[in-house]
Amino acid sequence: MDENERVQNARKEMEQLVADSLKSYKPPVGAFFTNLKEATKAIADGSIRWARKNSLWPMQFGLACCAMELMDFGSSRIDAERKGYLLFRGTPRQCDVMIVAGWVTKSVVPEIKRLYEQMSKPRYVIAYGECAVSGGPWWESYNIIQGIDQVLPVDVYVAGCPPKPENLFEALMKLQEKVGGKVEDKQE
Amino acid sequence: MLTKINVGPIHPSTHGVLRLVVTLDGDTIVNVEPHIGFLHRGVEKLVENRMYMQSESYMEKVDYAAPMAYSDLYVSAVEEAMGVHIKERAKYVRLILLELQRIASHLLWLGTFCNDLGQMFTMFMWTMKDRDLVMNLLQDATGSRMFYVNMRVGGVSMDLPPDFEEHAKSLLDYLEKRIKDYEAFLEKNPVFIERTKGVGVLSRKDAINLGVTGPVLRASGVNFDVRSAYTYYAYEKLNFMPQIQVKGDVFARYKVRILEMKESIRLIRDALKEMPEGDALGMPIKLISPPIKEKEVIVRRELPRGEGMMYMVTDKQKPYRLSIRAPAFINLSALNHMAQGAKYADLFAILGSLDLVMADVDR
Repeated sequence: MDENERVQNARKEMEQLVADSLKSYKPPVGAFFTNLKEATKAIADGSIRWARKNSLWPMQFGLACCAMELMDFGSSRIDAERKGYLLFRGTPRQCDVMIVAGWVTKSVVPEIKRLYEQMSKPRYVIAYGECAVSGGPWWESYNIIQGIDQVLPVDVYVAGCPPKPENLFEALMKLQEKVGGKVEDKQE
Repeated sequence: MLTKINVGPIHPSTHGVLRLVVTLDGDTIVNVEPHIGFLHRGVEKLVENRMYMQSESYMEKVDYAAPMAYSDLYVSAVEEAMGVHIKERAKYVRLILLELQRIASHLLWLGTFCNDLGQMFTMFMWTMKDRDLVMNLLQDATGSRMFYVNMRVGGVSMDLPPDFEEHAKSLLDYLEKRIKDYEAFLEKNPVFIERTKGVGVLSRKDAINLGVTGPVLRASGVNFDVRSAYTYYAYEKLNFMPQIQVKGDVFARYKVRILEMKESIRLIRDALKEMPEGDALGMPIKLISPPIKEKEVIVRRELPRGEGMMYMVTDKQKPYRLSIRAPAFINLSALNHMAQGAKYADLFAILGSLDLVMADVDR
């Protein structure tokens, strides 16, 4: 009992301390929050989304032709890292975004589902290229499903055969908007 | 005791969607069993329902690392069926574009191969940068970045732009310098030497028996290149020399590809010099239909990955049957032979040295 009380007291003191320090703290122009209430509110709906928005990690996962442009996206001409889309990860457990680049055959659907289920929530899917959007040129083939959206919920569609790496950049910016709302730049 | 390890099908170290079941004795490989078919979409069947020149775009997607080589293979088969002669200038234009495509493909291979050897990511960044420059030049010449669809029966869809020669020459000078840099960087690197020399040896006899083609065959000391053995376009006039190494290990395969890039640069330079003036444009698409019903055609071309062969039975408007001999499929069948007795860590060096494109294997 004594220990519990002590812990509770310490927690209260700590909260008071944080509140006091935030009261006396004068934020610079364009700061995110000004007091504890706002801070908690911001953490509840703002800053987590803000952080999530700016650290979208795509999975290293290429199926077909569009994977060539995906490689280009990660390499030196279009440096994806400068916008917070960090290096491609090798394991689905570290990833937020799955970029389905290429045609989806019936034999590869269980593998894609399994990878998607291994990703931690919240998780997003980009259908990159005609084949992942609708089956593309192979839509009447006997071994192809007509678009990845028959299997997984898709957030952003990118059309093109193949789309340029710049288009993937735009798609990820669209996804950022979806995840964290419009970028509000208070400096302007 | 033997252990079985599953690799893939979706794994960063495999090339595309390939599943390997590896049987190990300790750390030594006893057996490798590739499971393929994850990218199969029945392209040979789809082509039977398309007009002749509609299929060209499908053929490019068979091997997406070197699309133009495949569209050239297909259009050559249609030309053979129709009995059309290629225009003299178009031969040179095709040769230049195809060799540029070969350089782009080999650069892509070099980057990903070094990545396979254990996160030499620097090489990947460098080669992708250079590959982009080659692709920009091809975009100037054909109007598209990745899938060009610029081969037409009897010629090409558009002639080279007027400033092409100037751009190409400056790019070739740059590439020559860069390839020298890559050689110096890799062949003085002890890690690279250790992981490639003496690994995955394929003897001359085995290479012939297993039917491998392309750089894998030439690295085993066999002097066979379709460009010289069954010569086409202007390769004979430009004194094309096949590049050969004798040791047959992973390093030899790397060296063959480096030498091929140098030879390609030499060929493009000479072709630009000796290219005749005139018309290079092909036939309008509407006129294309092979006149004889049910004619059988076989065409062979040297693709960046090996010998590509196309068998076509023609019909009036559409091909009756089309069959592709994909070089990557047959090269993959040599993997088990090469990997037996090697260490598990070397499996990806050997797999990488085959330069596989899984869409080419599965079709």
